[in-house]
Amino acid sequence: MPQLDPAVFVPQIFWLFVVFAVLYIFMSRSAAPKIADVLKKRQDKIADDLAEAEILQKQAEEARQAYEKSQTDARNNAAAVVIAKRDALKAEAEAAYQKLSDELAAKADEAQKRIDAAKDKAVGEIRDVAKDVCADIVSRISGIKLDEKTIAKEVNAKTDAATKGER
Amino acid sequence: MASPLDQFTVKPWVPIEVAGYDISFTNSAAAMVASVIVITVFVTMGMRKNALVPGRWQSSVEMCYEFVAKMLGDAAGPEGRKYFPFVFTLFMFVLAANLIGMLPWLHPFTFTSHIAVTFAMAAFVFIGVTLIGFITHGFKFLTFFVPHGAPWYLLLILVPIEIISYLSRPISLSVRLFANMVAGHTMLKVFGGFVVSLSAIGAAGVAGALFPLAFIVALTGLELLVACLQAYVFAMLTCLYLNDALHMH
Repeated sequence: MPQLDPAVFVPQIFWLFVVFAVLYIFMSRSAAPKIADVLKKRQDKIADDLAEAEILQKQAEEARQAYEKSQTDARNNAAAVVIAKRDALKAEAEAAYQKLSDELAAKADEAQKRIDAAKDKAVGEIRDVAKDVCADIVSRISGIKLDEKTIAKEVNAKTDAATKGER
Repeated sequence: MASPLDQFTVKPWVPIEVAGYDISFTNSAAAMVASVIVITVFVTMGMRKNALVPGRWQSSVEMCYEFVAKMLGDAAGPEGRKYFPFVFTLFMFVLAANLIGMLPWLHPFTFTSHIAVTFAMAAFVFIGVTLIGFITHGFKFLTFFVPHGAPWYLLLILVPIEIISYLSRPISLSVRLFANMVAGHTMLKVFGGFVVSLSAIGAAGVAGALFPLAFIVALTGLELLVACLQAYVFAMLTCLYLNDALHMH
């Protein structure tokens, strides 16, 4: 086995240390810091970008909330306006209805009064006629002249009974 | 026919001798230099744009970096961060060495298949980690070998066991990598030898050689996995040892 020949130990170990030292100096002075620098720069860039994205996202979220709030407010306002308008119209309609029904009631009352007056007048005239007729009939049949009071009492009683319930 | 172990022979390219020591530039040293060049090109070219949004190449470099960073962070915590360049270098070096060794061209030399190299790395890790332990905790680091809550008579057995297991760390660390690489490469060569010798027989031999050939293809996939896995294991264990030194138990 050539590896076990002591003659090959020293030259190999000598060159190993020389070559390894050169590589170590290159790695520690140049390569490793350079790679570390690039990696750190990339890490920083990613962290910065992420932070920026987070800020932008927060802003977008705020904008969205503001938009949603304004939309809700607008909807609420619109609803309030609609309700107010509806209430106003309702009140107006009710007032108009009330006014009209009052007028109609007043007219009906007036008409009723006129009817009553006409009726009373008619009844009064009928009584007068009835009294005259009654006195005339009695005097012609019996020749008795009834005094006016008795006739009036009888006629009034009869007509009252006749008109009762019509009012 | 050449032995399957010939591929591990160290051949001097430029003989150098300083103060009686042989420090010749060998095929092994060339592979080490090649590893460093491959890693340097891979990292430098990958990171030349320094792009915020990485391309494929830059992503690969960053993936290696983050893989090792995560491994070290998980194993040794934030205190281990200052040893990151070392662990990163170690991982990339072993990975590049193992993968270069898998190249089918140029007869590449796999220096991680030499116990001298893996043991040197493991010993360096072991000594370094032990020094870090003593620097961080002072002589309290010796209580690392005393398990918590054990009665004194058990400690008589447990403390030597702990010390032996601690001292065997560089051996297991180096032998694991070394043995894996040697076994894989030897297997590939052995089955490659079957293909050659069977083909020499004739038409029937060529047909029969398809079986070891298919096995080599499958084994090559497995060895690529082992190459990456062993680099990971080596770096991972270094992280764990570092964690023991920094935090004890």
